[in-house]
Amino acid sequence: MLEITNIHKSFGENEILKGVDLKIDKGDVVVILGPSGSGKTTLLRCINFLEKADQGHAVFGDIDVSLRTASKKVIHGIRQKIAFVFQNYNLFTNKTALENVTEGLVIGRKIAKAEAYEIGKKALDKVGLSEKYDAYPSELSGGQQQRVGIARAVALNPDIILFDEPTSALDPELVGEVLTVMKQIAKEGTTMLVVTHEMSFAKDVANKVIFMDAGVIVEEGSPKEIFVNPKEERTKKFLKRVLPEDYIFYI
Amino acid sequence: MSEGLDYKFLVETFFVALSGVPITLFITIVALIVALPLGFLLALSRINQIPVLNRLAQIYVSFVRGTPVIIQIFIIYSSVPLMLTSIFERYDVEMKVYDVNPIWYAFIVFSLNTTAILIEVFRSAISTVSKGQLEASYAVGLTTAQAFRRIIIPQTLVVALPNICTATVNLIKATSLGYALSLQEITLRAKVAANVGYNYVEAYIDIFLVYLILCSLVEYLFKRYEKRVSRFKAVSI
Amino acid sequence: MEKYFDLAYIAESVPLLVPFLKVTLMVTGLSVLFGSILGFILAIMKLGNSKIAKKFAYGYTTILRCTPSIVLLFLTYYGIPAIAGNFGINLNDIDKAVFVVITFSLQFAAAMSEVIRSSLESIDRGQFEAAVSVGLSHTQAYRRIILPQAFVVALPNFGNSLLELMKEGSLAYTIGLIDIMGKAELIIAGNYNTHALEIYLALAVIYWTLSIVIEKLFLKLEKAFSKGKQVITTA
Repeated sequence: MLEITNIHKSFGENEILKGVDLKIDKGDVVVILGPSGSGKTTLLRCINFLEKADQGHAVFGDIDVSLRTASKKVIHGIRQKIAFVFQNYNLFTNKTALENVTEGLVIGRKIAKAEAYEIGKKALDKVGLSEKYDAYPSELSGGQQQRVGIARAVALNPDIILFDEPTSALDPELVGEVLTVMKQIAKEGTTMLVVTHEMSFAKDVANKVIFMDAGVIVEEGSPKEIFVNPKEERTKKFLKRVLPEDYIFYI
Repeated sequence: MSEGLDYKFLVETFFVALSGVPITLFITIVALIVALPLGFLLALSRINQIPVLNRLAQIYVSFVRGTPVIIQIFIIYSSVPLMLTSIFERYDVEMKVYDVNPIWYAFIVFSLNTTAILIEVFRSAISTVSKGQLEASYAVGLTTAQAFRRIIIPQTLVVALPNICTATVNLIKATSLGYALSLQEITLRAKVAANVGYNYVEAYIDIFLVYLILCSLVEYLFKRYEKRVSRFKAVSI
Repeated sequence: MEKYFDLAYIAESVPLLVPFLKVTLMVTGLSVLFGSILGFILAIMKLGNSKIAKKFAYGYTTILRCTPSIVLLFLTYYGIPAIAGNFGINLNDIDKAVFVVITFSLQFAAAMSEVIRSSLESIDRGQFEAAVSVGLSHTQAYRRIILPQAFVVALPNFGNSLLELMKEGSLAYTIGLIDIMGKAELIIAGNYNTHALEIYLALAVIYWTLSIVIEKLFLKLEKAFSKGKQVITTA
């Protein structure tokens, strides 16, 4: 469904992505792990053109583009198929939860308001916020805001949802509610590409784990392969650092 | 109708206009010397809600900010001489009110005006300096005076500096109204020169240029000072 | 010399002056209108990609911010007819109000360009990114998400600039406009310059009242438009 080849991206003097290849099939739940600065977030942002890659090729279903020279029209079309969940939610502060969720449907895809509102309400129900249709982001907790962010993505019925460290900005006790929602939509078959530090999600839900470091993919495989039998030194080092007590994992 | 600019007059009058700069600067500096400390203290009294002073300051600021400067000038110019006359009579002072240099009225008006402006500037600046700074100062054993001198005031100044710059530039512009007090400042001198040959356009071009240079200079100096004083501020990426 | 201060005179002069408030307000209103439009264009120039446009817009702002109002007034009042005169156009019969509006529109535009620019820049980039991520075009993102938020941020500054404009407008009498200040000067001249203080105090009261009314109005507007945001209140 999505195939990226040879992404390169530099910011000024720093080369952040040094040639990354990625393949995602329908129904995959792919988790990208790695230390900060490894380029995980940049990779994600290049995929939906929030950053423009310096080099690289992408195939989205039947659309074939060069990442550097893609036109505005093509980008707009691709964004109709990909949804993005931001680390700091980026909810539209001047719109209610329901309006946030339906904005893309009504304006972006020109769906009738009544129909869009039905879809939006269902999405908010799914993330457990049926009581909060008319609440403004400033009236919601961080966890609730992020759940709205996920509802906003889900409502678009995209081919893939990209998650950029969805729980990193949350207080620890709010992380759980967001992860629950994410696990649920994964179970329903949504194709997801997730950058996260939450190992439980990677272990329990992902069917593919990618480890990135310093702009390249070091190792990839099933959760069992990565967590139980890591092959590369760098992978082992990273896992030891983030899961010191729990290095060995049994499925 | 003019067929073109009288360039000779243009150049000559430029220097006439320039000769008014010292008075302009004099008034500006005096007004700032009075207004900066006074504005700061009154801002503090507003923040700390000192009973009577708070209310008075509030009304004072509201009046100054709610009325045009020219009206403030006219009010002072119409009332202070009257008051002085009665004071002179009562205390048998030998001076005539007409001998009082108009610059004193300018000092009064512009000091009062700038003080009010700065009260608001300092009020918002002080409130952005976090309370924790004062508490931490007490915790390490500084007296209130020391805390203010070494911690609070420097931080307040940095925050307030851009607004003080704006207030200064506005003050310089406001002195152009000094003609109403017959002050020999920039505008009046050039206008007088213009009256001779009706070369108004040239005169006003010169006045405009002098103010432009003066204000740009002041802004430049403030920006440089801002850079120096902002060293401790974190660079936001 | 007999000099007496008549408190009652203040109250008597107010009705004489108020009819001319119309002129003051009309001139202010028109200047705000034209100045805002020009200011918006300048703000776009400052935020855009063209280096020349940027330089022009910033240069314009600096020059106008450094020019006293009466200087600008006289420059337009004497300068524009002089320039027109060179092309053979006679501008002697044009209403003084036109020159006043031109002057203060130019001045207001400089202030507005800064207010609008800084309000647009203050909106978190994430709002724009989220908007295009859900499929809005650039134009839609600005119109539906960014501009409404920027408007709320700009409102208080707009109100302040409006008040400043109204006060600076009081100088229009120097080129002979008969607004509230102009009328006041006529009255004073007619009284052989006596009771000047009372008239000025009457003017002060009128302006002060107007300022307070406008301030309160803007506070109400800010509250009304701030749904969805938490309003910061200061003492």
